[in-house]
Amino acid sequence: MDDFLVIDHVSKSFGTQRAVDDVSLTVAKGEAFSLLGPSGCGKTTLLRMIAGFERPDGGRILVSGQDITALPPELRPVNTVFQNYALFPHLSVWENIAFGLRMSRRPREEIRSGVDRMLELVRLSEHSRKRPAQLSGGQRQRVAIARALVNRPQVLLLDEPLAALDLKLRQHMLMELNTIHEQVGTTFIYVTHDQGEAMSLSDRIAVMNAGKVEQVDTPEHLYETPRSSFVATFIGDANFFTGVAVELQHEGYVRVMIDGLGSPLVLSNGAVTSNQTLRLMVRPEKISLTLKRPPSGERVNAFPGIVEDIAYFGSHTRYRIRAGEHSILAQLQRSRFSGGEIDPVRGAEVWMSFHPDEGRVVRLEAAA
Amino acid sequence: MTEEPAQPSRQWLLTLPSLVWLAVFFVIPAILVIVTAFRPADLQGGVGAGWTLATLREVQDPAYLPILWRTIWVSGLTTLVCLALALPMAFQMARVGERMRQVLLLLIVIPFLSNFLIRIFAWKSLLHPEGPLTKLLIGLHLIPENAVLLNHAGTVLLVLVYTQLPFAILPLYAAAEKFDFGLLDAARDLGAGPWRAFSKVFVPGVRRGIISAAVMVFVCCLGQYVIPQMVGGTSDEMLGSKIAQRVFSDRNLPHASALAGGLMLAVLVPMLVVVIWQRLSRKEAA
Amino acid sequence: MKRSWLPALITWGVILFLFAPLVVLVVNSFNASRFGGEWEGFTWSWYEKLWAAEEVWESLWITLRIAVSASLAAMVLGTLAAYALHRFRSWLQNVHHMLITLPLVMPDILMGMSLLALFVLTGVETGLLTIWIAHVTFCLSFVTMVVLGRLQDFDFTLLDAARDLGATQAAAVKKVLLPLLLPGVLAGGLLAFTLSIDDYVITFFVSGPGTTTLPLRVASMMKTSRSLPMINALSTLLIASTFLFAALSSRLQRRA
Repeated sequence: MDDFLVIDHVSKSFGTQRAVDDVSLTVAKGEAFSLLGPSGCGKTTLLRMIAGFERPDGGRILVSGQDITALPPELRPVNTVFQNYALFPHLSVWENIAFGLRMSRRPREEIRSGVDRMLELVRLSEHSRKRPAQLSGGQRQRVAIARALVNRPQVLLLDEPLAALDLKLRQHMLMELNTIHEQVGTTFIYVTHDQGEAMSLSDRIAVMNAGKVEQVDTPEHLYETPRSSFVATFIGDANFFTGVAVELQHEGYVRVMIDGLGSPLVLSNGAVTSNQTLRLMVRPEKISLTLKRPPSGERVNAFPGIVEDIAYFGSHTRYRIRAGEHSILAQLQRSRFSGGEIDPVRGAEVWMSFHPDEGRVVRLEAAA
Repeated sequence: MTEEPAQPSRQWLLTLPSLVWLAVFFVIPAILVIVTAFRPADLQGGVGAGWTLATLREVQDPAYLPILWRTIWVSGLTTLVCLALALPMAFQMARVGERMRQVLLLLIVIPFLSNFLIRIFAWKSLLHPEGPLTKLLIGLHLIPENAVLLNHAGTVLLVLVYTQLPFAILPLYAAAEKFDFGLLDAARDLGAGPWRAFSKVFVPGVRRGIISAAVMVFVCCLGQYVIPQMVGGTSDEMLGSKIAQRVFSDRNLPHASALAGGLMLAVLVPMLVVVIWQRLSRKEAA
Repeated sequence: MKRSWLPALITWGVILFLFAPLVVLVVNSFNASRFGGEWEGFTWSWYEKLWAAEEVWESLWITLRIAVSASLAAMVLGTLAAYALHRFRSWLQNVHHMLITLPLVMPDILMGMSLLALFVLTGVETGLLTIWIAHVTFCLSFVTMVVLGRLQDFDFTLLDAARDLGATQAAAVKKVLLPLLLPGVLAGGLLAFTLSIDDYVITFFVSGPGTTTLPLRVASMMKTSRSLPMINALSTLLIASTFLFAALSSRLQRRA
């Protein structure tokens, strides 16, 4: 079951620009996998190479052991849900879904039952005679999924499947896509620039940047233990500090000396040596704010600061806090504020604190 | 949309049919016209052997100057009148509802698609001394009893405007359709009257449309000969009339070619100016 | 906001100006008076005379043969040209584009004159073939422009989608591109057909003995005052067919 889709040292350049730079990935059978990254990171090019619309300059692509690198799109066991759905405007919903089966010259009876079954799956049976132009955005999306799935592809590619929908519909289709994935059990590969979408849709995510894969991991691991500052900022918000490792402790903790702030204790990722310059990250929601100094102790990292700016979001509030030359973002759920009844106001002196497990080393510099 | 990757063979295969056709039946003939101007005429209406500059000297005949001058100012005046009528029309068409817009468009295109000669013939019978318009105007005492509406410069101008008007309306309408009419509301809000809003905001907004309309009409007029021949008098000849005369009456192809070559230059120069100007202004915008 | 009535007035004034001469033609075609100055009673006689004028129908037949064959050729050439112009960006297409647009602004007399020069210098006898060549040449650019406009609205990911669903390149073109492009190609063909039927100036230059097309026939009829009322009748029929064509092509445009 492992290594169902294999991308093996694949590269692709357009002119002088390396769109995909020596990427290797493996995706398991039945997995929901995302290629996540900003526009221009190469995720769409990678998708188009899996679908067969682009030929890699180097490397191989395999699906369940078969090398498909040289196959044209029509011969691949792969189907695509296009970003703007690319439904054929001159064909009815029914004929759109039947298109692939007709192309492979299936018997009439099989086409009929296949299309009807798909229409049921995406709950569009009563719209089968309509033209795509008569459907809503969400319905078109479901036709596009049905049109691809009816061919029983081994891999389904979805290019920004939710980008064309408005916010409410997007929430709804997110659930719907998960349900469909559970029902058909096909390998799904999403391409998206939206980290929220990727996190809620996929078992694993490959974060791409400038043609390279930065990290492949489960959503939880990407968020909690990003391996680079790019991944840390792309998935959620983060505060970064540069400091020097001054004291290695047992159980994988390290005390880091940060100029103008203090010396917090944080979780190292193992390979830290003494006196090494390193970069560490703390998520805004992991920082608590109090008006009084928290009780001191070995395991508490606490620093004073002044509230510079406050932004109220309803479900939470964000504070920008200045401490020397550092500008730190903290995010509080209203109910979790523990410093008394009064919210910090602009200009108030507050204490920021975080648990050592919430501080992470994201990048090591060469030893000084 | 993704452009196809460079596939030289496929590109050539798709381009060659039309490219070869136009090269053989458009570019080469145009060059031949220029070449013919340097060949002597033969008496059968063909082209003789050898080379000569005699034709070019003939064409410098000062008798051509007033004709050239008339061609240019009649074309220019036609262009101005067409623009003056087409601008408010395009403005109006872009503002009415979708259905009305289709109706107006159809009403403009239908006379345009009717046969060119028939439209000229229609004016001939309308303006005929025994025709309905002449009789009506005399009946209303708007013109003297013995007035002749046909066969003078005004008639040529009238019919030229009539036939060229759609060439002005269609590009202007295309430009006006893309114009953001909220800008007019903004201008009115800032204190401009309707006329100032129209002239200071709408007209500059459809500048490109005005230029293509003007070039279209002007260039088409330059080559006219049927209209001056059919509704104009003997003193209303244009350059085109002379070319046709040299071909069909005098059977002197080299002479006609020399005139046509001059006309070709007169057509290409304003076009080149516009193309270069648009390239420059696009670069400025970028 | 109060709208000025002036643009509306000018619009309807111009439309009246455009239609007035045509209306007079139609009315006069039923007028017993020879010059149409006054209404002298209703008559079919001009239509009867026209029906009997065999040379007119012969000219119509020639015109139709040329128009159908020229617009078919222009449809094929123009569709290929539009596809190439839309799909490729290169110096070749820059040249191609220039060659396609120049005939649109070339005055008829120059095109006629230069084609005549070509045929005279190469010793080709003017006749049906030369008229056909001339008509294909000036129709080509118009068809290309109409199809190009349609291609600009065509979403080329549809072809990717067809390939993705198992269609070969050829099947994708046949099942997706052509059906969606067809209304545009037909509209272009219809425009070419109208232009071909209508052309007088270019045809005049390249026609030979025995190839009097309808516009050439009308021009020669205009010289003899005896046949003038017959032109009214003929014009009415032509205007009616223009209406028919305009309705047909606007329906084609809307269906896409």
